[in-house]
Amino acid sequence: MSSLIGFVSLAMAVLINIYLIVSNFFIKYNNKVFNLIVRSSSFLTILSFFSLMYAYIISDFSNFNVFQNSHSEKPLIYKISGTWGNHEGSMLLWLSILSIYGFFFSQTKKINLQFKKQTLLIQSSLHILFGLFIVFTSNPFLVNSVIVKEGLGLNPILQDPGLAIHPPVLYAGYVGYSIVFSLAIAGLFTNNDNEDWIFITKRWALISWTFLTGGIALGSYWAYYELGWGGWWFWDPVENISLMPWIAGLALVHSLLMAKGEQIMKKWIIFLSILCFSLSVFGTFLVRSGILTSVHSFASDASRGIFILLIFFIVTGFGFLVFLLKSPESSKPINFLSINKVSALVINNILMIIATLTILLGTIYPIIVEVLTNDRISVGGPYFNSTVIPIMIPGFLLMSIAPILSWQTNRIKNARLYVLGFIVISLLVLIQSYLSTFNTWGVLGLILGIWIITASFISIISSYKIDYNFRLLQKINPHIAHIGVGIAIIGITCSSVFKNEYDFNLNEGDKILIEDANIKLEKIEISNEVNYQALRANFLIEKDKKIVGNIKAGKNYYPVSKMITTEAGIFHEWHRDIYFIVGEQKNNNWFIKVYINPFVSFIWIGVLIMVFSGFVGVTKK
Amino acid sequence: MNRLIILSPLLILLIICLFALIYLLSNKDPSKPPSALINKNVPNFESNSLYEINNIIKTQDLKNKKVLINFFASWCVPCKVEHPLFFEISKNYPDLFIIGFNHKDKSDDAKKYLSEDGNPYNFVGVDSDGMIALEFGVFGLPETFLINEKGKIIYKFMGPLTKEIIKNEVVPLL
Amino acid sequence: MKLCHSCKKIIFIIFFVFISFFEASANEVLEEKVKNLTLELRCMTCQNQSIYDSEAEFSNDIKKIIRSKFEEGKSEKEIKLFLVERYGEYILFKPMLNYKNWFLWAFPFVLLVFGLFFMAFKMRKN
Repeated sequence: MSSLIGFVSLAMAVLINIYLIVSNFFIKYNNKVFNLIVRSSSFLTILSFFSLMYAYIISDFSNFNVFQNSHSEKPLIYKISGTWGNHEGSMLLWLSILSIYGFFFSQTKKINLQFKKQTLLIQSSLHILFGLFIVFTSNPFLVNSVIVKEGLGLNPILQDPGLAIHPPVLYAGYVGYSIVFSLAIAGLFTNNDNEDWIFITKRWALISWTFLTGGIALGSYWAYYELGWGGWWFWDPVENISLMPWIAGLALVHSLLMAKGEQIMKKWIIFLSILCFSLSVFGTFLVRSGILTSVHSFASDASRGIFILLIFFIVTGFGFLVFLLKSPESSKPINFLSINKVSALVINNILMIIATLTILLGTIYPIIVEVLTNDRISVGGPYFNSTVIPIMIPGFLLMSIAPILSWQTNRIKNARLYVLGFIVISLLVLIQSYLSTFNTWGVLGLILGIWIITASFISIISSYKIDYNFRLLQKINPHIAHIGVGIAIIGITCSSVFKNEYDFNLNEGDKILIEDANIKLEKIEISNEVNYQALRANFLIEKDKKIVGNIKAGKNYYPVSKMITTEAGIFHEWHRDIYFIVGEQKNNNWFIKVYINPFVSFIWIGVLIMVFSGFVGVTKK
Repeated sequence: MNRLIILSPLLILLIICLFALIYLLSNKDPSKPPSALINKNVPNFESNSLYEINNIIKTQDLKNKKVLINFFASWCVPCKVEHPLFFEISKNYPDLFIIGFNHKDKSDDAKKYLSEDGNPYNFVGVDSDGMIALEFGVFGLPETFLINEKGKIIYKFMGPLTKEIIKNEVVPLL
Repeated sequence: MKLCHSCKKIIFIIFFVFISFFEASANEVLEEKVKNLTLELRCMTCQNQSIYDSEAEFSNDIKKIIRSKFEEGKSEKEIKLFLVERYGEYILFKPMLNYKNWFLWAFPFVLLVFGLFFMAFKMRKN
């Protein structure tokens, strides 16, 4: 029953939008009616999505999608998240978020009404494209032709809180750029000279970027504690796909910021607006077409791949075509002194677009080579680390002083203070490194991170009256965001460069000493949980003769899918993570691997600060 | 000049979509990379027979023969599925020298498997440590190679063979 | 040649930095070598994992072979070539610098040069 409601409401939502687009040529809708039509389509899409979720909750195996991906023994939370833990369901989630964004956008008050209508029409067109894709190739409401009593169970790796929430947050980021895209195209069509357009775009671009940051961070954090390799970024194609719109989105947000200083690079902002959503759609294509292997790809077939490729071609092609034909005239010339805020932002944009394009090429290069030579190559971590990171470093350097540069002049307030601060930090880090372990990247990363934080603090203190209220928070927001970046850079540098690994063969009762921590393997226990069997090694961690932690690490065995997953045990301290992996048993000894990841928590803290700053930025007028 | 710059995203889009389309239509399997050894000389190896220790086969012994090499094991389930097909090949092409390399297996298990399911191979070589498989770039079972009289590898297939694949891809090369 | 005081300091620092690099490479243990190489190699039976990180049988076999080749005195380059001959360039996470891949490696560099010219051009206009 719920499948029927789900399918009918989905089909109706798409049909309403088709009707809207077609009839808009003949009928001039009054705004109330127009909004009503748009919102009814949104409502129906969301209803469809919840119908699917309902089918999962009640384990309705007459729905083929539920049958393939769920199991009655799964805990409720994972039944719910199973709704989007598969290709069809996640596409419906994508479409629903698209509708939600359209719905909220239709509530915008201070906006030229013609412009608003155009934007919603483009948004509806996007809805039609993806809706048709779902209806014809990825229908989550297919009926199971066999009567079954039980489902096929979900991949146990997906039964995880972090992974449950990762797609919705991530999609809120990806799909948010649909509004930015629609705004840009609508702006081109209506020749929008109204400056309101900049502020409206800025709000939606910032919302999308903030969600995308959160989504990527959740994915990374999940990989860190779940995949058991101790890493959190692998330059896996699917990770690259999320990073591209993130960097482009960052460039967009910064460029929109320039509008405050009355320097508007209209063409560039429109270009970036089209680019961000194009990258999102391209990402969807790469993941779901089966063209790449990664930890992440959904099962797929060629017809789906071709359909999405077509959607990608239409959306991106249309976007850039309109851009080509209706590109706005250049506005006021840009004030470009050798070292003012404008030039810093321009350099920043250039570096970010180069980084994005490099990641794009690296990700699709294997496809190009295989088509041309029938040879398969890999473009992995080492390539991106050698190219993207060096490109971003000058950007980071610039980031530390950019917020205090002037819009007009060449002068920097307290310039000497900054130069002194930079030299002191560099010397301190170099000396410290010489006395312990010297590593070029380590030194560089530390100098960069500490410098960004310090410079931001200097700017905050020297430029603003400390008046504790929300307005101050909004004013110093860019500095807060940059401090977040600085902290994250320190975390990234330390946890990758200064990471240590120790292997042991232990038995129950054995003790080991790592740095200042005494670790004892208390016991090994096996327990039976709801839908899996758990093997856990209990570790007691002692510092200064006091027990500070009890960590469990081991493996889970899932009888339904016959999979074994590694469950890492992590002891979090502010300055490091102690990360336990349990391996195979030989005779009576267990193979234990311990990673010491210094300052890894700084990564998550830094990202959290960035997300916080994003939210604050959205509230700014 | 400006128009050209604004045109470039569209050009790049076209190129990307073209390559993606070709790739999708050519039905490539992302989990099966094309072999690096095609058209290269068969690698050097030396292997004892499963049945007689003193019966050794070396690369030089394959000169001027058309050879089919199949990597298998008694514990490999897909190998059992393709196993019967080798009898047909052997019957239809008596000039073809078929070698089976028993990969990372116990001799007793292998002998039992071959006595139960039959032995279609002209020679069964032992590859207990997997080094021969490594020389052939094998990383999963079963894998099958075809070598021409000049000693060059002209075909590789990963996974269990089927009647269609033999008909469409292997036979034309024999 | 009389050197100024700060110049002496700088030369001193550079000298120490240089020495520390030298010492590090001479002392690299076998396991470090194996680790560094296997981090750059793809496990052919896994989804996008390095041979170092992977516990798969294939990875363990390759690790053994690499270790024995290093002990024989082979260089990293020779071992990489050995593996590429059998498994193709697909096994390398870092694309080789050859005719096929020149575009990949040149691309970011070329873009940077364009970016620089663009900046210089715009600044001159002002």
